[in-house]
Amino acid sequence: MWFKRVLPHLVIWPPLAVSVFYVVSYTLWTTWLSFTDSQQFASNNWVGWRNYASIIGQSKVHTAYTNLLIYGFGFVVLTSLIGLLLAVLVDQRIKAENLFRSIFLYPMALSFIVTGTVWSWILNPGLGIQKLVRNLGWTDFQFNWIVDRDMAIYTIIIVAAWQASGFAMALFLAGLRSVDADIVKAAEIDGASAARTYVSVIFPCMAPMFVTVFVLLLQFAIKTFDLVWVLTAGGPGIATALPTLVVYDYMFERGQLGRGSAAAVLMLSTLLLVVVPYWLWRRRRATA
Amino acid sequence: MASFRMRRREFLIGSAAAVAAASGAAKAAPQPRITVSSQWAAGNDGKAMDALGKLFTDAGGAWKHNPVPGGTSGLMNKIRAEMIAKAAPAASQLKGPEIAAWSKTYPTVDLNGIVAGAGFEALMPKEIVDLHKPFGNWIAIPAQVFRTNTLFLSKKAMEKVGENTIPKTWDDFNSLASKMQAKGIATPLAAGGLAWDHGQKFEFALSGISIESYRAAIMRLEDDALKGCDVLDAFKQLRRLANFWDPGAAGQHYSVLMPRFMSGDMGIIMHGGMAEGVAKFSGFSPDDYLVGNTPQNSGPPAFDLNADSFIFWQQKDEDLQEGQKLLAKTVMSPAFGPAFSGITGSIPVRSDVDMKSAAFTDNQREAARAFSEAIKNKTVILSLGQNMAQTAQITSAMLDVLAEFVSDKGMTAEAGQKKLVSAVADNR
Repeated sequence: MWFKRVLPHLVIWPPLAVSVFYVVSYTLWTTWLSFTDSQQFASNNWVGWRNYASIIGQSKVHTAYTNLLIYGFGFVVLTSLIGLLLAVLVDQRIKAENLFRSIFLYPMALSFIVTGTVWSWILNPGLGIQKLVRNLGWTDFQFNWIVDRDMAIYTIIIVAAWQASGFAMALFLAGLRSVDADIVKAAEIDGASAARTYVSVIFPCMAPMFVTVFVLLLQFAIKTFDLVWVLTAGGPGIATALPTLVVYDYMFERGQLGRGSAAAVLMLSTLLLVVVPYWLWRRRRATA
Repeated sequence: MASFRMRRREFLIGSAAAVAAASGAAKAAPQPRITVSSQWAAGNDGKAMDALGKLFTDAGGAWKHNPVPGGTSGLMNKIRAEMIAKAAPAASQLKGPEIAAWSKTYPTVDLNGIVAGAGFEALMPKEIVDLHKPFGNWIAIPAQVFRTNTLFLSKKAMEKVGENTIPKTWDDFNSLASKMQAKGIATPLAAGGLAWDHGQKFEFALSGISIESYRAAIMRLEDDALKGCDVLDAFKQLRRLANFWDPGAAGQHYSVLMPRFMSGDMGIIMHGGMAEGVAKFSGFSPDDYLVGNTPQNSGPPAFDLNADSFIFWQQKDEDLQEGQKLLAKTVMSPAFGPAFSGITGSIPVRSDVDMKSAAFTDNQREAARAFSEAIKNKTVILSLGQNMAQTAQITSAMLDVLAEFVSDKGMTAEAGQKKLVSAVADNR
């Protein structure tokens, strides 16, 4: 009998302890390393804020954070819009709803490496869309964003939105379905059009779902690495560098663990900027 | 009965002796065994490693190759983890100044005796020797040499413009490429869109303008040279080159463009001899293109050296130690050059290898001749883009600037030079 009582604790606590230890200890270690002169291997010589000063002065880092702003904003907005539209369409009691849901969710099941490789061909002016349209007869057609340093970051938004929209759709659909049917009926009886019902009644009811989707997508954007790596390798030049690529570059390409750790801690701070307000908001909602 | 006993006793004594002898022999010389890590996983590189494995096995060793596909940094990240676990491979691929840098992090094998025994050091230029005995002892063995600044001209493209001579200076080069553009070859220069490829283009430009300036600015990082007018001119030439290549190749490897080059849709490749290995592997023949060195404005041409090497990490097991000796001997042996370089398109390290061997192409022979002349003329330089001139941190910082310059057509040569100077100052 005692075993049955202990079992849930055995299942929950050891893995939790291990992961907390793993996450917390390595985060602390990385933070420590960011204040040392570590190169190829970890060292314990304190250098203060030197790594941070050097990192913040790099133009690659400026580009990376500007890109993160553009990409984070564009990706969250575009993905939410497409996801919401798909969710509303699927919500119309259509036939084969499960089939459509699976199709829209499917890109999420693909690895970013696969998505990135295929899209790098589709977007390449010499191989993909541009060549296709030109071969069809429109010989002046231009779509070379991926090799244009000012536009390349937007191709990453497009591809990431393609991948994640289905995920946003699934969450929004759950939100739509959780809205009390009586309220919707009441709106119908009052003579509200379908569009009006969605905008004025259903969407406000699922406001928490919007926040959840935004936060999930935003932390997803901050962590993006593989997609950019395969799609543009951070190029042309350094035009599509993101903070994750900077961390990788310093830690593994250049073998500068100290500076790489400083870049990683900066990234963690960005992530906390998103996640901490969300936690606070959820706690306030829970207690309210 | 008696005779049987006799025989049985003899038999027992005999077999005991045999066992003792066998175990004694095993103790004296275990079978040499080697574990090699390299980035040469597939294609002709993979085939060349198989050829080395065969030489090693034929010499009585047990061969184990652990390829880590991708660039040098991927390989070194794996080896770094193995070093932290005190389990570095017996030998691994490493090159240039990284040999010196990494040898400080993990004990290496002293190869002085074996190298002296093979009379190896006298067969190569000082530039190579210095990289492999950075602190006075031989710790790595060079395996192959590439002339990075090799110029390939597509015969089909040359026919279109009615040319058959290799351009001597950068002015000749620019006018040839412009001619090709005028004849409908929109992007005559087949250049990959990766940072190290841009780096190579810059080093060809600078060393073609002045070998001395390249040595001072890139190899020795002297401030005056970095800020000098030769570096500025090299940035201007790099901009011209960037205008000759297809921006659609951004993020792509140069080898992707090989078919377009062969068909005459592009005319020029500037790349190490490995481009020839790639061409051979893709089914093209040396008759499809002309080969020479990249332009040199004055004096004898530079030989922009890239060399691949094996470094040997200390091992406890005796059979691995024996394997290290055997591998070092195998790589230094005269038979290794034709077997390995014959596949990869490189030049053997030993200057005494008979280049008339059927294993080599005319173009390899030409590169080998250029190599021995460059040694005589003292025009051997070390490649930046191929990680031969600087350690990874400085190289990456410089390549970032060059890649940014190439993709940003609005950046002036002056601005590019300024960025390069500050990137070097930041990362020194």
